[in-house]
Amino acid sequence: MCSHAKRLRILTRLSIWAVLATSWGAPIALAPVTAEAAQPARPTKDLFLDVGKHPPITLLINQSPWYGGFEKVVKLYEEQTGNKVTLDVSPYAGMLEKARNAARGKESPFDWVNIDTQNTVEFYLGGFLAPLREIDPDFRLDPQVSRYDDCLFWNERTQWRDRDGVLMGLPVQGNVNLYYYRSDLFQQAGLKTPETWDDVVAAAEKLGKAGELYGFVVRGERGNAIRYDWMSYLLGVGGSIEKDAPSGDFTVTVNSPQAKRALDFYLSLAKRFGPPNSGAIGQNDLIQLMTTGKALQLNMVAAAWPNMDNPERSRVVGKVNVAVIPRPADGVFATPIGNWVSGIPRNIPAERKKAALAFMKWFLTFEGQYKFAEFGGIPPVRMDVFDSDLVARPEFRWMVAYKKSLPYARQVLGYKEGAQVEAILGLRLNQAVVGELTAGKALNLAAEEIYKAFQQGGRRTGLLPKLPE
Amino acid sequence: MGKAAAVEETGRPARSVADLLDATFQYWALAPALLLLLCLTLYPMLSILRMAFSTIDFAQGQFLWTFTGLQNWRTFLEDWLFRVALRNTILFVVAAVTVEMLLGLALALLACQIQMGKSIYRTIMVLPILVPAVAIGCMWRLMYNYDFGIFNRLLVALGARPLAWLADPRLAMPSVILVDIWHWVPFVFLILLAGLEALPVEVLEAANVDGASGWQRLRLVILPMVGPTLSVVLLFRTIFAFKVFDEIFLLTSGGPGTATEVVSLYIYKVFFAENRLGYGALLAVLTILTICAFVGTYRWTRLGSRAPWAS
Repeated sequence: MCSHAKRLRILTRLSIWAVLATSWGAPIALAPVTAEAAQPARPTKDLFLDVGKHPPITLLINQSPWYGGFEKVVKLYEEQTGNKVTLDVSPYAGMLEKARNAARGKESPFDWVNIDTQNTVEFYLGGFLAPLREIDPDFRLDPQVSRYDDCLFWNERTQWRDRDGVLMGLPVQGNVNLYYYRSDLFQQAGLKTPETWDDVVAAAEKLGKAGELYGFVVRGERGNAIRYDWMSYLLGVGGSIEKDAPSGDFTVTVNSPQAKRALDFYLSLAKRFGPPNSGAIGQNDLIQLMTTGKALQLNMVAAAWPNMDNPERSRVVGKVNVAVIPRPADGVFATPIGNWVSGIPRNIPAERKKAALAFMKWFLTFEGQYKFAEFGGIPPVRMDVFDSDLVARPEFRWMVAYKKSLPYARQVLGYKEGAQVEAILGLRLNQAVVGELTAGKALNLAAEEIYKAFQQGGRRTGLLPKLPE
Repeated sequence: MGKAAAVEETGRPARSVADLLDATFQYWALAPALLLLLCLTLYPMLSILRMAFSTIDFAQGQFLWTFTGLQNWRTFLEDWLFRVALRNTILFVVAAVTVEMLLGLALALLACQIQMGKSIYRTIMVLPILVPAVAIGCMWRLMYNYDFGIFNRLLVALGARPLAWLADPRLAMPSVILVDIWHWVPFVFLILLAGLEALPVEVLEAANVDGASGWQRLRLVILPMVGPTLSVVLLFRTIFAFKVFDEIFLLTSGGPGTATEVVSLYIYKVFFAENRLGYGALLAVLTILTICAFVGTYRWTRLGSRAPWAS
């Protein structure tokens, strides 16, 4: 009886171990096979999507650092499908006006317009784009395609870009800000990749040399540059521009103590470690300073990456790496999204709309996105490309940091007053950088002006108590 | 016969339709051009005036014009940035145009004395006008660059500290004025040179014979005679400088802070970046009125009366 009970106990234990071993072991054993079966590491010619024959289309596209990759992938589309695509290439400054004129006219000359994420609301709200399921009722967004904080959808009821809305556009390129640093110097000094603001300051103090190597450079130029650059600091300390815009509460919070802390830190980086012309530094200047070896650390869009390893442009080939933008020790990782969204104008014939959507379907496949990335289209918008064999190649080492950053990436200014708010913040923050205003005064003035803009827009708004100036 | 009869009946020559057409032919000939001009100028002017009293939104793919009366005017009265832009513009116009006129005149007077290599220096002088504004912006931005620019390299070579030409609020406006001077002095120079070369030689020789000194010749003979040309150049340069946009947009975008914010740039931002069409239209109307007021005042002054059209 006793031995029987003992045998039973042993059998029971063995059964439990067997169940545990099976439940843990099977997925481990199967995982690589499943992953490989679901997604090839690199595309093959046969796997490119057949979208059928379509009339020629014209795309309005911007001359950005990733344009070369886009141009090549369009050529590949033409070769693969026989469909003709004309690219109307425009510098950034002219993109919005061209897109507006096209979409507001009687018939758009473009079958597809590329729109900076912060301008999408204007197009959604104005009803200038065709909802994609009106063109193809069966169209579904592939789960591997990033939503970029739902900027592709427009919810007419809430007047907000959220997933419950209608699919209005598709992502073309997925910029977020990344932290760029001189990995060679960090390695020599035995410093680890910074994770917090304190690490950034420590590295700047240790390695920065006035006039020779700027410890940290901010993008302090007036306008979009400084507004965009400052966002990761503001969001990192838990700050915001408005209280809860998606729920309709537009109380202005840009002069909160958190925002003051973010701006104080930003100003200290600029003054202690940056060049004396921080207030005039734009994106091209950041690229210049990094590639000429004059900057140790800075935050910059992912799309600027190809400059770092280009021997014709860079003195620091292989010496720069990127990471998730560091956070305050008691804060969170955060980075602003600056992606591009393609929309199909409402005012074009149905067959042209279908042709434009066919191109986008092809472009957003794994094969299309892999090739886009390989040709220099940085960053692609499909997540499985970041699991492909590209990641192992040294020139794609940015992919790891980019993928890690995406969960922290946020859209801001997603309302009709967004452009006005950007102009206000772009000026007041810049005035603080060039020393015309104190941080408190700059934020108080910005808050008052944003409050007025919200009031004029008929928003439910309010103000926080003023900061000490 | 008929004509004679008509004269007899009325006591004065009767005018046939053909005569009337003949007499008014000049007006009929001008009519198509005038009509076209009216369509091209009056219609946009009326449209922008209407916009100035409205707000314009977009919904369902449509323009939604709402007449809002004086709302844009109220915004204007509270708009401190426009006042800053206007002040900066006036400063820019006065400084840039004054230097350009003086420098252009001095160069033209000097060039008048040189007989050799006229085509060479004229070609060299005309180059800045031919360079596209975008290229000028990029070129000067590079030269003003804090770390790599030629100006700071020179300063460092001379043992001085480099300057933040476009990032220091005290230096930014002088820096963009310098670019404007570089760009437009050749324009002033070429027109004044043409004016100087067209002066009657006999008068200048007579002044010489009468023993006038160089300064007297300049003050009492040359300047009064070249006055109409000077007036035209001054008017054009003032209007162009008031509308300055490209140089500032490319060099500073109005920054740092508000140091180089000018009227045209501000209107562009309101109109195009912020998409506030009604308010942008009001600012455009006010700018047009300001320029018209300037031209009107100018024509009534002694200086304006010297312009060729004043007679």
